[in-house]
Amino acid sequence: MDANVDLKKSWIMIKHTFPILDNNFNWPYAQTTDAQLFETINLINRFGLNATIKSLIISKFEEHVRKFVVPKFWAFFTTDINVGEGFGNFFKAVDYLYTFFTNHIHLIGNTSLLCNSKPIYNAENATDSLKLIIRATLLSQLPLNYNKIIEEFYETALKLENNDDTACPVCGNEPECSCLIYFHATNSKLVELKLLEPLCGQVLTSLIYGYIESYINKTCKDNFDNSYIDALEKWLDQFIINWLRKVYGCDGSSELQEQEYKQKLTNLLYETYTKVRINQLFNIIIEYPESSPALEDLSKCLPKTDLRPLLTKKLQKAMETRLLHPGVSTPDILTAYVASIRSMRILDPSGLLLDVVTQPMHEYLRSREDTVRCVVSSLTEEGPNDLAEELVKGDAVHVDETAASDEDTENWEAWMPDPVDVDPSKTSNIRRSADIISMLVSVYGSKELFINEYRTLLADRLLSQFSCDTEKEIRYLELLKLRFGDSQLHYCEVMLKDISDSKRINHHIKQDANYTDNSFPISALIVSAQFWPPFKDEQLELHPKVLSQMETFTKSFEALKGNRTLSWKNHLGVVDLEIELKDRVLNLSVTPVHAAILMRFQDQDDWCLDRLSRTLHIPPIILRKKIRFWLSHGLIDEFMKDCFCLVEEHDTNVPNLNADVVLDDYESESVMASTQDQREEELQTFWSYIIGMLMNLDSLPLERIHQMLKMFAFQGPTIECSLQELTQFLDRKVREQKLVFSGGLYKLPKNDML
Amino acid sequence: MAQNVDPYHAQRANNSKHSEEGRSNTNDSHAVTKRLQKELMSLMMSQERGVSAFPEGDNLFRWIGTIAGPKETVYELQKYKLCLQFPNSYPYTAPGVKFITPCFHPNVDNNGNICLDILKDKWSALYDVRTILLSIQSLLAEPNIDSPLNALAAELWSKPSEYKKHVLDTYKQV
Repeated sequence: MDANVDLKKSWIMIKHTFPILDNNFNWPYAQTTDAQLFETINLINRFGLNATIKSLIISKFEEHVRKFVVPKFWAFFTTDINVGEGFGNFFKAVDYLYTFFTNHIHLIGNTSLLCNSKPIYNAENATDSLKLIIRATLLSQLPLNYNKIIEEFYETALKLENNDDTACPVCGNEPECSCLIYFHATNSKLVELKLLEPLCGQVLTSLIYGYIESYINKTCKDNFDNSYIDALEKWLDQFIINWLRKVYGCDGSSELQEQEYKQKLTNLLYETYTKVRINQLFNIIIEYPESSPALEDLSKCLPKTDLRPLLTKKLQKAMETRLLHPGVSTPDILTAYVASIRSMRILDPSGLLLDVVTQPMHEYLRSREDTVRCVVSSLTEEGPNDLAEELVKGDAVHVDETAASDEDTENWEAWMPDPVDVDPSKTSNIRRSADIISMLVSVYGSKELFINEYRTLLADRLLSQFSCDTEKEIRYLELLKLRFGDSQLHYCEVMLKDISDSKRINHHIKQDANYTDNSFPISALIVSAQFWPPFKDEQLELHPKVLSQMETFTKSFEALKGNRTLSWKNHLGVVDLEIELKDRVLNLSVTPVHAAILMRFQDQDDWCLDRLSRTLHIPPIILRKKIRFWLSHGLIDEFMKDCFCLVEEHDTNVPNLNADVVLDDYESESVMASTQDQREEELQTFWSYIIGMLMNLDSLPLERIHQMLKMFAFQGPTIECSLQELTQFLDRKVREQKLVFSGGLYKLPKNDML
Repeated sequence: MAQNVDPYHAQRANNSKHSEEGRSNTNDSHAVTKRLQKELMSLMMSQERGVSAFPEGDNLFRWIGTIAGPKETVYELQKYKLCLQFPNSYPYTAPGVKFITPCFHPNVDNNGNICLDILKDKWSALYDVRTILLSIQSLLAEPNIDSPLNALAAELWSKPSEYKKHVLDTYKQV
C-alpha cells in the first residue's frame, strides 16, 4: 500500500506542477519552484512515465487550444462587423492569442523537460513547439472570410501611414493617437508567433498591389505631359517598401528576401503603369506631341514587361471603336494616322509596332474614297499642317517594296535584329525607313494614283482660281518633285506652264490689231488636253454674242499659234456680270451656265423651261436647278409653272434669299471627271481582259479571274481591284446577261463567242 | 517542226544564232515578258472580233488562242482553240502554234501541227499574237494545197461537199 499512497501523492504533485492535467487552464497557474519541478520530474522519471505524461499534457493542451483558444480567436473575425471595427478586432484577436502564447511558454518549457529537454515535435526549442501547435491548430480552423478583417486592418494602417494631419481614421482622434502603436505591436506579435506571413502575407500582397494600382491611376490618369516612371519608383521605394519594412520589421527576414520582394513590386509597378498607359494609348496618340513624356515612359516600360501583344490588341481595338468608323471625317483620321506614326516611332524604333498598328488604318483608309484627296489637299494646304511640314523636310518616296537597298551591309555593326514577334515575311528595311508621306502614299500602293489625285486637285484649283498666280503651286510642285521624281510630275508641270502661257497669249491677243472686244472682254485659259485630267463633259449652248466673241478670239489665236486652234469648254470658267435693271445695278461673278441663262432673258423677257432647255442644250432638271440661282437673287420669277420671266423692278418687300448658300452648293462640285467615273473606265479595262480570258479558257472561278487580272491586268496607272469589288462587278455583268455563272464558274454566254 | 521542240533547247540553239545581240539571258526574259504583256494589253484593248488569246495560267509564255472560222467558208460558226508556246528568244523566234481543237485542213496534221510559212522561215519579229492568229484564220479559208500535211484534206479541197463533211466530222470530235 505504500506504493499506493505514494502513487496518489505523486499524482497530486504532478498535477500541481502541470495543472493542465487537471483540466485547469485558469491563469495564473499555481507557481511551482524549481525544486518542486525537479522533484516532480524525477518522480515521473522514476515511474518511467515521462513519455506518457508528456503526450498526455500535449494532447490536453492541444485539445484546449483546439476547443477554446482558436475558436475564440476566430470569433473576432465575424463577418458581420461594422466598418472600422476590423482594426480593433484584429488587434484584439492577435493580442488574445499572444497573451495565451506567453502564458503557456512556461508550461511547454516544463513539459519539454520530461524528455531530457528534447523539444516537442522536433521543433528547435519549447517556444517553437508552442508556436507550432498554435499555428497548426489556428490554420486548421481557418474560417472562410478571415481575409476581410485582416484586409481592413492593413488598409486602415496604410491610411494611417499616409495620414499627415487629419484625424486618425481608426479612432477619429487627433493625429497623435495610439493606433499606430497598436498596429506595430500587432505586427511584432504576429512576427513573433510566425503568423504574419501565413496569415497576412496573401492579404498584404493583394492589398499592396491594389494600393499601387489605385495610386498609379490616381496620379497618372489623363495626364500625359509628364514622365512618371522615376517618381513612381521613388514612391515605391520610399513609401511602400518602407511601410512593408515596418510591417515585417521585427521579422529578421534577410536582405535577400526584401530585395526579392522589392523586385516583385517594381515589376508590378511597371506592369500596372504600362497597363494604364496602354489603356489610354489612343488618347495619348491623339494628344501627341504634348503626350510625348507618356510615350517615352511607355517605351521604357515595354521592354521590361511582356505587354506588347496587349498593347497592339488594345490599340487596334481602340482605333476600331473610336477612329475607323464612318462617323469620323477623313482629315481627322489622317491626323490621327500621322500622330500614331510619330508616336509609334518613339515607342518602337524598329517599326514593328507601327506596322501592326497602322495595318487596320491602311485598310480602312483604302476603303475611303476621299483619302487621297485629303492627303493631297492637306499636303498643299496653307497654314501649320503636319503633312506639309513633312513634305518640306522629307526625302524621296520609296514605294516600290522590291527596291530593297543594299546599304545595310555597310552598316552591319549597327544592325539590330527584329523583335521576336515579327512577321518574317516582311523585310525590316521598309519598315525602318518609312517616313510619313511615303507611308501615306503607300496606303494605296502606288505613286501614280497619288499623283493623279494631285493632278486633279491642282486642275480644280487652277480652274477655280482663274488667277495666274502659280508661284505657290510651283513651290509645292517642286517639293513633290523632290519626293516623287520629275517624270511623275511632268504633267503637273505642263499644267502650270499652261497657266502662265495663257496669261501671255491673252496679253498677245489683246494687242492684236485684228482682235477687238467690242461687246465684252474675254480671256481664255488655254490648257493642253493631253496633260490635264479629263473634264466632265457638259453641254451648253452659249449666247450668239458670246460665241462670236469667242470666234474672234479663236481667230486671233490661230493667227498667233499657226497650226493650232481652240476647242472651247463652254461650261467652264467664270463670268463677271454687271446687271443693270430699272431700279438697281448688280455686280456678280457667276458660272457660264448662269450667265448664259440670264443673257437669254436679255433678248426675251419670258421663257418656258422647255424652250430654254432646248436653246441652251441643258436638260430641264439641271436647268431648273441653275435658274434657282437667279430666283434667289430675285432677278427671275416663275410666274407660272415652268415659265420664267425677268423681274425688272424689284418689289422691296420680297425677302432676299441667301445667295451664298446657292453659290456654295454649286462651287463644291468639281469640274473634273469624278473618281467614280475613272474607276468605271478602269473596270472596263478589266472587263476586256475578263472577256479575253473567258473566251480562251472557257470557264473560270472568281479567284482564278482575280488572280489572272492581278497577274496580267493590274499594271501601270490602273490600280488594284479587290476581290469584293470584282465580285460585285461580275455579278453586275451576270445581271446584264453578259456573263453566265454556274457551279461556281463564270463563263461567257454561248452566242457571244467572238 | 520547230513548234515541237522543247523551248529550252530551241532557245539554246537560237542563242548561238542570235549571239550578236549579246544580251544577257535574264534581261532577255524580262524583255520577252514585257513584250508579251504589251501584246496582251493591246490584244485585250483592240476588241478584235474573230481572234482572241490569253495566257493559259500563271505562265505568260503559254497562251491559249481562239479563232472563229472565217465567214463564208466551211469553217463558219466553228471555233478553234490553239495553243501558243513562246520561246525565251521571242520575238526573234516564232512561237510554237498548234491546234487544240481537231481541225480538218490541208495544212494541219492530225496532231494539230500547222504548216505556215510565217511560223517558220518567214517569221519576223514584227509579227505578234494578233497577226499570227489572223494569218491562221485566213489559212483556214485559203489553204496551201501544194505542201499539204493532210493529204486527204488537200485532195478533197476541190470537192466542197465531201470536204465539208470531213470538216464537220473532225470538228465534232471535240
